[in-house]
Amino acid sequence: MQKIAIILLLTVLVFVAGYSFYDLVHTEIQSGFVQFSIVLIVGFTLIIIIRYITLIYFSILKNVQKTRDDVEPRICTEKVTILVPAFNEEMVIEASIESLLVQTYPYIEVLVIDDGSKDRTYEYAKRFEHVDGYKSVKALTKPNGGKSRALNFGIENCSGELIMVVDADSKLEPDAVELLVQSFTSPEIAAVAGSVSVINRGNTWANLQALEYIEGLNMVRNAQAFLKLVNIIPGPIGMFRRSALEEVGGYDHDTYAEDCDLTLKLIAEGYKIDFEPDAIAYTEAPEDLLDLIKQRYRWTRGILQAIRKHKEYLFNWRKRTSTSFVLWYMLFEAIFWPFMDFWSSVFFIYISATTGLSSLIVYWWAMFTVLDMAGALYCLLVTKEQLKLVFYAILYRLYFIGIINVSKIFATIEEWFNIEMSWGKLERKGRI
Amino acid sequence: MNLIAFLSFTILIITILTLVFGVIAYFLYKAREQKKSTKEISYQDMTKKLGSKYIFLTDTVSLKSQDEES
Repeated sequence: MQKIAIILLLTVLVFVAGYSFYDLVHTEIQSGFVQFSIVLIVGFTLIIIIRYITLIYFSILKNVQKTRDDVEPRICTEKVTILVPAFNEEMVIEASIESLLVQTYPYIEVLVIDDGSKDRTYEYAKRFEHVDGYKSVKALTKPNGGKSRALNFGIENCSGELIMVVDADSKLEPDAVELLVQSFTSPEIAAVAGSVSVINRGNTWANLQALEYIEGLNMVRNAQAFLKLVNIIPGPIGMFRRSALEEVGGYDHDTYAEDCDLTLKLIAEGYKIDFEPDAIAYTEAPEDLLDLIKQRYRWTRGILQAIRKHKEYLFNWRKRTSTSFVLWYMLFEAIFWPFMDFWSSVFFIYISATTGLSSLIVYWWAMFTVLDMAGALYCLLVTKEQLKLVFYAILYRLYFIGIINVSKIFATIEEWFNIEMSWGKLERKGRI
Repeated sequence: MNLIAFLSFTILIITILTLVFGVIAYFLYKAREQKKSTKEISYQDMTKKLGSKYIFLTDTVSLKSQDEES
């Protein structure tokens, strides 16, 4: 009840700030171009507010639904194969495998696929090979060919009915597999995503990403899961029904976001995608800005490649309503939002330089910061995370998202012109 | 002191700096990736390329001319 009251209060504050903003603009600006631009920005802001409120509302509904369903746990006996694709992961592969061996779920086959590493990844993984009752570990190696090929190789060589995919730099909570298996409640559910949490908190960049993962990724997935339409199964933790994977032909090799592409293929086939917030994987976030840009650049281009690949569904909303909806949502997040955010900042600078009406920027910034803080507070309370992270929402809006949006815009332009790109593997610090 | 004016000025400056910094950071990232993608060559590959048994630590031009002569 307290949480809802806080959210309502913050929502009212957002609307008060929005109205003040509109009132100020309406009375002080006369130029047609500027007024048109302001209307555009107010429209954009309203869409963002609706987005935030809808996501939080759906997330609350999903939590209520989950609490209700938790009363009757399902008895599961399906064998789970955990695929760990690894390329030059000697720093983290051992910790990753160890976290899989302590899983509470008994029927597990761990398959490490060394994708032609130049370091000792395969050797380290090989040391863990064993068969122990229902649990086993096996390391396979193949010539380097990319993550998607490594995963398909794993799918061909595994025996589980459910296939879990984890990144070699992620570490799972002991009950993660058990919780994910429980979520396959109907044959319609083809995949279930888990929560991703940043493990290397400490510096400001990592803390900002920790907040972003909680609020921007996990909460969004939780809300999408209310409709069973999670649009990306994250690399660090996701589980698939093998039959569904085989039906859509496994992973394709033509995008840099193979996880997003696969999820879209499953949704297009009419499958449902769920989310289990309590199944947690810890991952290493980039600790410096250039690595962060590198990651976001690849994410953006990969997502755009996946959208482009499935573009025929964009306008096919009558027959493929859910696929079309998911694609439009992704397009909004990947292109419209960063461009509008960037353009709004430039516009406010222009306004300040030409008319001196710089107070607009405060109202605009305050509105988004309040929204971010409200969302952050809700997510932190629900996930029982450190509440101090809520203050990072100020820095997030102040400069973090601005810098990220610039790289997203450049990535979009480069994708538009088909400029060549590479995978952009991040160097691990071995913090997991 | 007018708080709104102060905040406006502060946020405006931060916004300008963020956009400029974002562009600089992006090009720094591109430059770093460009540098990384420069092909590394091993001693063996180099000797194979030059067609000689040893690599003489002289300048490229003289090395090339020696090689061509042989």
